[in-house]
Amino acid sequence: MTSKRAWALAILLLLTSFALVTSWALILRPIQVNILMPASIAKSTAGLVRQFNNDHHGYINLQVTQGPQDTEAMSDLAISSLLLGKSPYDALLIDVHWLPKYARAGWLTPLDPWIEQQEIDSLAPGAQLGNSYDDHLYRWPLMADMGLLYWRTDLISKPPRTPEELVKVSQRLQQEGKVPYGYIWQGRQYEGLSCVFLEVLDGFGGQWLTPGTDAVGLDSSASVKAAGWLRDLIISGVSPEAVVNYSEPETLQAFKSGDAALMRNWPYAWGEVQKDNSPIKGKVGVTTMVAAPGHTSTATLGSWGFSILKGSSNPEAAAEAIAFLTSTYAQKQLFLNYSYTPTKATLFKDPELLSKSQILPDLAKALQHTEQRPQTPVYAQISDVLQRQLSSILTSQGELKTAMDRAQVNTEQILLAAGETR
Amino acid sequence: MIQLLLLPAALLIALIFGIPLLRYLWLSFHADSVITSLVAIPNNGANWFRLFNDQRFWQDTYQTARFAFVSVSLEIFLALGIALLLDQRWRGRGVVRAITLLPWALPTTVMALGWRWIFNTPNGPIEQFAKLIGLQHLYGLQDLNILANPSLTWLATVVGDVWKTTPFVALILLAGLQTIPNDLYEAFDLEGGKPCAGLFKITLPLLQPYLLLGLLFRLAQAFGVFDLIQVMTGGGPASSTESLALYAYLNAMRFLDFGYSATVMIASFLLLVFICLFGWLVIHQTKHFREVVK
Repeated sequence: MTSKRAWALAILLLLTSFALVTSWALILRPIQVNILMPASIAKSTAGLVRQFNNDHHGYINLQVTQGPQDTEAMSDLAISSLLLGKSPYDALLIDVHWLPKYARAGWLTPLDPWIEQQEIDSLAPGAQLGNSYDDHLYRWPLMADMGLLYWRTDLISKPPRTPEELVKVSQRLQQEGKVPYGYIWQGRQYEGLSCVFLEVLDGFGGQWLTPGTDAVGLDSSASVKAAGWLRDLIISGVSPEAVVNYSEPETLQAFKSGDAALMRNWPYAWGEVQKDNSPIKGKVGVTTMVAAPGHTSTATLGSWGFSILKGSSNPEAAAEAIAFLTSTYAQKQLFLNYSYTPTKATLFKDPELLSKSQILPDLAKALQHTEQRPQTPVYAQISDVLQRQLSSILTSQGELKTAMDRAQVNTEQILLAAGETR
Repeated sequence: MIQLLLLPAALLIALIFGIPLLRYLWLSFHADSVITSLVAIPNNGANWFRLFNDQRFWQDTYQTARFAFVSVSLEIFLALGIALLLDQRWRGRGVVRAITLLPWALPTTVMALGWRWIFNTPNGPIEQFAKLIGLQHLYGLQDLNILANPSLTWLATVVGDVWKTTPFVALILLAGLQTIPNDLYEAFDLEGGKPCAGLFKITLPLLQPYLLLGLLFRLAQAFGVFDLIQVMTGGGPASSTESLALYAYLNAMRFLDFGYSATVMIASFLLLVFICLFGWLVIHQTKHFREVVK
């Protein structure tokens, strides 16, 4: 009898201690945080992630999932994971123009509890844009990104400031036989074309969508002028016909091989043209986009930023990881090693960064003139409509005014339908 | 009793085909988009009303049909030649038969990227060749710009599709050719028939069911074309190559408008059913025709 009881006691003791040890181990197990990033950014931040995991050993384990490089493919992956209901990721890097859509779909957690107002104020003016929707902060930028005009310092003494100057200087260089083409940009029917157009449109004094209202300005005279200017670049031979199939990589490739004196691209291109194997290394300057006299030049706001997903079970830990990856220290590393433009205002005056990079002041200037793409959950639709009509203008399929009128009507219809069901 | 044995298969079909189809049909009568916070709200057929007035849907229908009919006709024509050749006895036939299947074995994305490079301006081989023979001067152009010219680009996608799927049709036709007994040809020969006439009097009539089978398979596939277009042109330039499947995909994944995306899908499914029904009727006719020949 007693031996039986002793056995039972022993087993009970064993089981209890086993359960205790397991739960202890479970409590001590580091919190898992998984962030989805495009492959190139995942690679650039790998060192910082390792550092974060060392500092938080046994407490937080940050894992980065490498997504596709292509922005649209990245969006497809993120969206299909979100549609599952329970996403395997705690946070995502999202492109600036996805924010209203993601926030409206109810996929994101507001970051307000973790980010103080003074931190928002510490960002450069351009980097403060595009992070909020409906008065909540949903996104924290990893880098600043905006459209830039690249120019060849060995061919031109100072960059063109107006659309007219741009055409003139291009044609002069072409006539002198110094370059086959003057200016190259992204004319393919995709999101990049909307970015290009927004800069030209603002440069002519127009507006795509007046913020806070549903007033569409695509059939305005400024808008028709802007689209006409882009079309005439191709007709006059300042831009190659192939530009209507160019996205960023093709544009960069052509500029690198000396096909053109001017290029519209994002800051990442700077790192590429300054590489040792680049034939135009040291012969390139950057500035902001041209604008008609009396109007200010504009840079379309791009950039990737972190958002925490509503389904995440560890939002605090995710916020801590994001805070580290976007800290002043991290931004310095990312700028020095991968030329990711910083977002903190103070870094643009940092002597170490200034001594390493000659274009930092130009970037700071461009960042003061950034313009957001329309902030609406149906942005993808209205951008698609615009791209479609612009592409038909650029390929001479559609008449200029008719096509822009159609873009106007279609955009109004989309906004109206979105408003009705709200 | 036999019907009972078919039950598992029927259940499987209902599970992987019937349920999603019904769900899509249901969805096509609801507003389910980012605006409704991804909640499905009945909207009394507003999606269908929108579809009938959607110029873009009709343009895409035309573009998809154009792509499907031109590429499938070319494929059948070329595949017939290849199948006839591969059916003859000659040295090395086995190796050539295997090689012929290679394009079919390649993933579409990979081969579409390849074609995008081939048609690239100004560095692609086609453009270089056109320059060599001065083709572009015919049109007074500097470059042909195949992938940037809305009236040419769809032909480039047809070329890609024909290259990839002709082997598939050739395989079906080759199988068909092997079912034709040799004694028919021998008898025809004894009666003094010319080999060329044999093609039209024996081969083609007996091959008809296989031709129609290939046609049906390929039409269904070509009508739902997505990956080739997505990789090669992304639907551009000026949306001149956008297919119905691409439009449905844009609505779902880019615009987060699942209600309308489902409507586009169901509409293109109905169109496809209509086309296949037509094909089936023709096959039915030929079966009868074949009996008469026998």
